[in-house]
Amino acid sequence: MGLVLAVALFVGARGESGQRTASQRAHAIATEIRCPTCQGLSAADSDAPAAQAIRDDILRRVQAGQTGDEIRAYLVSRYKEEILLKPAGDGVASLVWILPVGAVTVAVAAMVVAFRRWGARPDVAVSDADRAMVDEALNR
Amino acid sequence: MNAALGTAGVVLGLTATVLGTATLAIGLRRGDPRLLRAGQRYVWIILGGALLAALAMEAAFIGHDFSIKYVADNGSRGTPLLYTISGMWSALEGSILLWTLILAGYLAVMVRHFRSRAGDPLVAWATIAGFAVAAFFFYLMVGPANPFRVLSVIPADGRGPNPLLQNHPLVAFHPPILYLGFVGFTIPFAFAIAALVTGRLGEGWLVETRRWTLFAWGFLTVGIILGAWWSYEVLGWGGYWAWDPVENASFLPWLTGTAYIHSVMVQERRGMLRVWNLSLLVATFSLTILGTFLTRSGVLDSVHAFSESSIGPALLAFFALVVGVSIALIGWRGDRLRSPGAIDSPISREGAFLANNVAFGAFAFVVLLGTVFPLIAEAINGDRLSVGAPYFDRMTAPVGFTLLFLMAIAPALPWRKASGELLHRRLLWPAWAATVVVVVCVASGRRGLAPLLAFGLGAFAGTAALRQLLLSARAARRQGSPVWRALMGRANGGMVVHLGVVVIAVAFAASTAYGHRGQFRLEPGQTATLAGHSVTYLGTTTTKHENKTTLSAQVRIDGGQVYSPAIHQFPFASQGIGSPSVRTGVVDDVYLTLVAAPEAGQTAAVVGVNVQPLVAWLWVGGGLMGLGTALAAWPGRRRRPTEPSAAPAIPSGRPEEVPALVDQQPVAVSPRA
Repeated sequence: MGLVLAVALFVGARGESGQRTASQRAHAIATEIRCPTCQGLSAADSDAPAAQAIRDDILRRVQAGQTGDEIRAYLVSRYKEEILLKPAGDGVASLVWILPVGAVTVAVAAMVVAFRRWGARPDVAVSDADRAMVDEALNR
Repeated sequence: MNAALGTAGVVLGLTATVLGTATLAIGLRRGDPRLLRAGQRYVWIILGGALLAALAMEAAFIGHDFSIKYVADNGSRGTPLLYTISGMWSALEGSILLWTLILAGYLAVMVRHFRSRAGDPLVAWATIAGFAVAAFFFYLMVGPANPFRVLSVIPADGRGPNPLLQNHPLVAFHPPILYLGFVGFTIPFAFAIAALVTGRLGEGWLVETRRWTLFAWGFLTVGIILGAWWSYEVLGWGGYWAWDPVENASFLPWLTGTAYIHSVMVQERRGMLRVWNLSLLVATFSLTILGTFLTRSGVLDSVHAFSESSIGPALLAFFALVVGVSIALIGWRGDRLRSPGAIDSPISREGAFLANNVAFGAFAFVVLLGTVFPLIAEAINGDRLSVGAPYFDRMTAPVGFTLLFLMAIAPALPWRKASGELLHRRLLWPAWAATVVVVVCVASGRRGLAPLLAFGLGAFAGTAALRQLLLSARAARRQGSPVWRALMGRANGGMVVHLGVVVIAVAFAASTAYGHRGQFRLEPGQTATLAGHSVTYLGTTTTKHENKTTLSAQVRIDGGQVYSPAIHQFPFASQGIGSPSVRTGVVDDVYLTLVAAPEAGQTAAVVGVNVQPLVAWLWVGGGLMGLGTALAAWPGRRRRPTEPSAAPAIPSGRPEEVPALVDQQPVAVSPRA
C-alpha cells in the first residue's frame, strides 16, 4: 500500500512541473506581486487597473525570455521592496523565514528531551506492603 | 435624548463594574459571603447599563438621530432597516459597544450559573476578573472610543455605513457571532486567573469552564467561516481568505484556543501540562485584545478595517497588563503547577496531543509573525516590506498537513502507550481510503503535490473520524440506546468537528489549486468559455435605489439562468463598489464580476469569470464544525464537579464514551460519589 501511495504521489507531483506556458509562468509570478493600489491582494487576484498593468508587464517580460528573478528585481527597482508579497530571503526580511523554523526546531527538541527524561524515570518500585494492600482491596 | 440615555448607560455600567469589584474585594478580604453575593449582583446593573447604551444606539439609528456623530457617520435615511440595525457595529465605537454588551451578557449568565456558589472565592475571583475586563471596555466608551459623541451642527442626513457593509445580509450576523466567540474566552480566562489567585489549581476549574470554552470556540469558528463567506460574496476578487490582518487577528485566538481544547484533555486525564494550558488560555484571551489593537489602531492596513481611532495606546496597555499579570501569577504559583505525571511514550494519545500543540503553536507563531513583521522590519531598519498570502501559504502548508495527519492517528491512539499491532489494526481502513483517493485522483488527471496530499490526508483523517463514530454507534446499539446518542458527547462531537475540518481542508486545497480565472471583453450576445463553462453577456441595466445606484450586467451561465454582477454607486463614495454574482454548485462555483461597465457610446463590457471547484463545501464544513461543537457541548448526564482528580471519574453507562473506554487502561482511581 505504501508503495502504491508513493508512486501515485510521485506521478501526481511530477505531472505538474512539466513545460508551462508563458501565461502560466506569468500568472505564477503575479501571485507573488502585490497590487500597488489594493490592500493585501496580489496582482494576479485583483481587477484593479494597476494590477492589470503589472500582469501585462510580467507577461511581456516572460515572453521576452526574462526569468522570474529578473522580473522580480525589475519590479522591486520600480516599486520598492514592498511590491513583493513574499519577502526575500536576505537581510532583515530573512528573519520572517528563519524564526518560525528555529522555533519549531527548539520545540521539537524540547519535546524529545522531555520524552527522554520521562522515559528515564525508574519504574515505580512495588513493595510487598503495596501488594498486600491491593490483594486485600481485591478480595474484599 | 438618545445620547444622554446611552451615556448614562455607559456611566452606569462603568460605575457598577468598579463598585462590584470593590464589594467583592472587601468581601474576599473579610471572608464575608454576603458581600460576595452582593458584589456579584452588580452584574445585573452592568448588564442593564450595557443594554441601555446599546438600545439607545439602536434607537438613534432607527430614529435617524443624527445629533450623535456615530449615527451621522454610519447611518442614513436611505439605508435599509437591516443595515441600519447592523450600522451599530459598522465602525469602531459601536463595535466596542457590541463587545461590551456581549461581555455583560456572558458575565450575567456566568453569575447566574454559579449563583449557588456565590460565596466561593474561586467564583468571586473569576467575577472580579470578568468585571475588570468589562470596566476596561466601559472605560473605552467613556474615553477614547465614545460612541455617543454629539455634533453641534446636526446634519440633515447621515453618510450611511461603509458601502461594503450594506451590500450583503451577512454583515448583520458575522460580527455578532464572531464577537460571541472572541468575548466568550473571557469566562475561561477569568476562571484561570481565579484558579491562580486562589491556588486551587486542580482540574476543577477546567471541568467547570469546559462548556464555556467550547461555546466560545464554536462561535469563533462559525464567525471566522462567515467572515470568509462574506469576503467571498462581497469583495469581488473571487477568494475567501487573503491572510489579511483582520482575518489573521480572528484566526490567532482560534489557533491557540484549538490547541487549548485539545491539550486540556491531557490535564483532565493525567493532571499534566498545567502551566501550558494556563498559558494557552491567557494567550487566547490576550490575542483577542492584541488583534483588536492591530486592526483598530491603524498600525496595519486591512480590507476589513472600517475604522481607525486613537484607542491604540489603551488597547496596547491593556494587552500588556493582561499578559504581565498572567505571567506574574503563573510565576508566583509555579510550585503548585508542577505536574506530577509523566508521559510514557510519544506514541500515545497524550503524545499526539503534545504534537498537536506544537503544530498549533507553530501555526499561531507563523501567523502572528507574518502579520506584525512589516512593523518589526520597519522598526529595525526602516525597510517597508509586505508579507502576503504566498508567505503564509508556504509556511502554513506543512503545519496544516501535519495537523491533518495527527487528526487521523490521534483518535486511534490509546492513552499511555500504543502497540504497533493495535495501530495497524485501527489505521488499516483509513490508510486504504487515503491510498484509494490519491490513486483515483491521479488517475483522473489531478496533479500537484499539495492538493493530492491534502486529499489523501483528508481521506485518512475523515475515515478515521468515521470509524470512531461507527464504533460509537455500534456500542450505543449494543447498549440499547438510540443510535443518535453515538453522536453526542465530547469524543463523538469532536469527531464531527474533525469531519468538518476535513471537508474544509479538501475544499480549500481544491479551490486554491484548480481554480481558473479570466476576464473577457464581451459585446451583448457574445459568449466566452472558461474551464468548461460558457458565459453569455446579455446587456446592462441601471436601477436607482434609495441608497445607491446600481449598474448590473446580465450574464447567462451555461445557457441557463441569468446572473447579475453589478457595480454600485453610493452617494458618499467616490469609487463604484463592485458586487459579484455567484452560481454556487456542488462541484464548482462560477463567480462573475463586472470589471468594467460599457463606456459611453459603446456596448461592450468587461466581465470577470472565476471558476473554482468545491467552494460551497467550505461553508458546509463550517456548519459541520459548528454542529460538532454543539454535540460535544451538549449537556449529557450531570457530572459532579469534583475538585481534585488526575483522571476524571469514568461515568459508567455513558454510551457515547464507550469506544474511548475500550482503548483505555484506568490510570488512577478517583473518588466516586
